[in-house]
Amino acid sequence: MARLAADEGLRERYEELCQTSAPLAASFDVLLEQAPLTRLRNALPAKGLIRRPPWRFTGIAFRELAAGLVIGVLAAGAAIWAASTFGLLDGREDWRTAIAEYTHLYTNETFSPLKPDAAQQAAELNAVGAMVGAKLTPENATLPDLRFASAFMLSYVGSPMGVRAYVDRSGAPVLLCILANGAPDAPTQSERRGDLPLAWWSRNGRSHLIIGHVSEEQAGALAQMIKKQV
Amino acid sequence: MSEASRREVRAGPESSLARLWRYALVLSKARDAAADLVQATCLLAIECADQFVPGTRIDRWLFAILRSIWLNEIRSQRIREGGGFVDAEDALISDGARELETNITASTVLRAIGGLSQTKRETILLVYAEGYSYAEAAAALGVPIGTIMRRLAAGRAALAKLK
Repeated sequence: MARLAADEGLRERYEELCQTSAPLAASFDVLLEQAPLTRLRNALPAKGLIRRPPWRFTGIAFRELAAGLVIGVLAAGAAIWAASTFGLLDGREDWRTAIAEYTHLYTNETFSPLKPDAAQQAAELNAVGAMVGAKLTPENATLPDLRFASAFMLSYVGSPMGVRAYVDRSGAPVLLCILANGAPDAPTQSERRGDLPLAWWSRNGRSHLIIGHVSEEQAGALAQMIKKQV
Repeated sequence: MSEASRREVRAGPESSLARLWRYALVLSKARDAAADLVQATCLLAIECADQFVPGTRIDRWLFAILRSIWLNEIRSQRIREGGGFVDAEDALISDGARELETNITASTVLRAIGGLSQTKRETILLVYAEGYSYAEAAAALGVPIGTIMRRLAAGRAALAKLK
């Protein structure tokens, strides 16, 4: 404000901006009066906890909405972790299918804008590690040729699932999912879902899955490296 | 999460319904779809109430949820060709002919805004109508501040053509 008072040119510019934007704001205000409030109020959920409603929003599966929430929240830098729901496959398909479908929703633009500093990385990884019972730090979360972008929480049929998201040089996402499901130890296995190779294993009551736009060889190598880290 | 915070999440959509619908309309340019989008937002907000950070602005949290749902809607359109939202040229046009200070009707301004891209429309709404600062808008939309300024300039330019 002091600059506005002292700088006549700046003040003129500011006043011009206010004047030119005023009709825009006023026009938008007219729309508020047209909101179908009765319909919107009637659509509000009744009191009481809602868990995994079976609805879809004009054809979008709820898990896609949840993915969007994660994207939006993370892109806005508004939260370290976000809970979501994977339990929508009615038990017909396994968690790898759910993750593969979910991963296909991510684009090169999803995680590449996220560049957390060391403190943010530590906070995110610590929060996720606490949820899945693993000690996660920036030091043991480093992967070759991949940049750490984010760590956040999802859930799969009631089990907490941590996700460490990385991007390669092009921004393509590579995810490590850690599902605290109490599964017995299992060796590394691999497969391909569409254009995405997967490598997964279980140890210490947690199942791990690496998935992303890497070669199958890279996925396997990353799995071996992560097994030593986690 | 405290009971007071849960109540805040419950009360948030109720007090923000009209503004949520306006944002949804600006994004979708389809009135029925906007209502559906608000409903989906409210449901997801309650489902994810534990994510709300008490003391922060719940209206902006709801806006972020709404936008995320919309982005996924756009993403899903590739598999729903012909079944998605249909842009209605007049969706943003006020049914009133309220005259603004500049002797331009709101309908005329909204029609001009409706001709802009979605990113410009929502940027103009957030900054000029919702009071986001440039920095807040940049953070919410995940773009640099310079991009925000260019989008706003486009809105003002569209308005200037009406004069």
